[in-house]
Amino acid sequence: MSSAFKAFLNSSVGPKTTHFWGPVSNWGLVLASVADTKKPPEMISGNMTGVLCVYSALFIRFAWMVRPRNHFLMVTHMSNECVQLYQLSRWARAQG
Amino acid sequence: MATSKLQALWNHPAGPKTIHFWAPTFKWGISIANIADFAKPPEKISYPQQIAVTATGLIWSRYSLVITPKNWNLFSVNVAMASTGLYQLSRKIRQDYFSDEKEATAQLEG
Repeated sequence: MSSAFKAFLNSSVGPKTTHFWGPVSNWGLVLASVADTKKPPEMISGNMTGVLCVYSALFIRFAWMVRPRNHFLMVTHMSNECVQLYQLSRWARAQG
Repeated sequence: MATSKLQALWNHPAGPKTIHFWAPTFKWGISIANIADFAKPPEKISYPQQIAVTATGLIWSRYSLVITPKNWNLFSVNVAMASTGLYQLSRKIRQDYFSDEKEATAQLEG
């Protein structure tokens, strides 16, 4: 058990490296947008949400292809893709 | 001569045929979207989202300088993100906390 945890700690994409903490900061975008799902759709920026949809799609691929492969970054952007697409649908529906 | 240099760039392992090029390049879209949103009224700005954009921009700016090699492209795009985020935050804070007197007076008179 603890050897798996040690392996994580010492991994080339682990918490001792920037490859870990950068994606941690990207979770801020995800959590911010989850919080914004509770707000009225008039507050959604179509510009920003549309851009974030494309941005996260590209970075899912980037996280897979980069060496070392960064699964954490990949999952972060997959989550962001989901919430941004949801926000985009709320925004689109409110356009009437 | 120029053709072979262009060809070298075109075929580069982090060049325009690869995701290593397009993902960071498209990140500029976030700052451009924010600049487009400068025209929107501050009521529509989202505090959580702009705080996240600013924080992400600042953290990645630092990290792009501590990796090897330093990535000035990544640095510049994240500096832009942090800057536009900070500006949007300042617009909203100014409206929420520093223009109350005028609005309160207008409401009293109106």
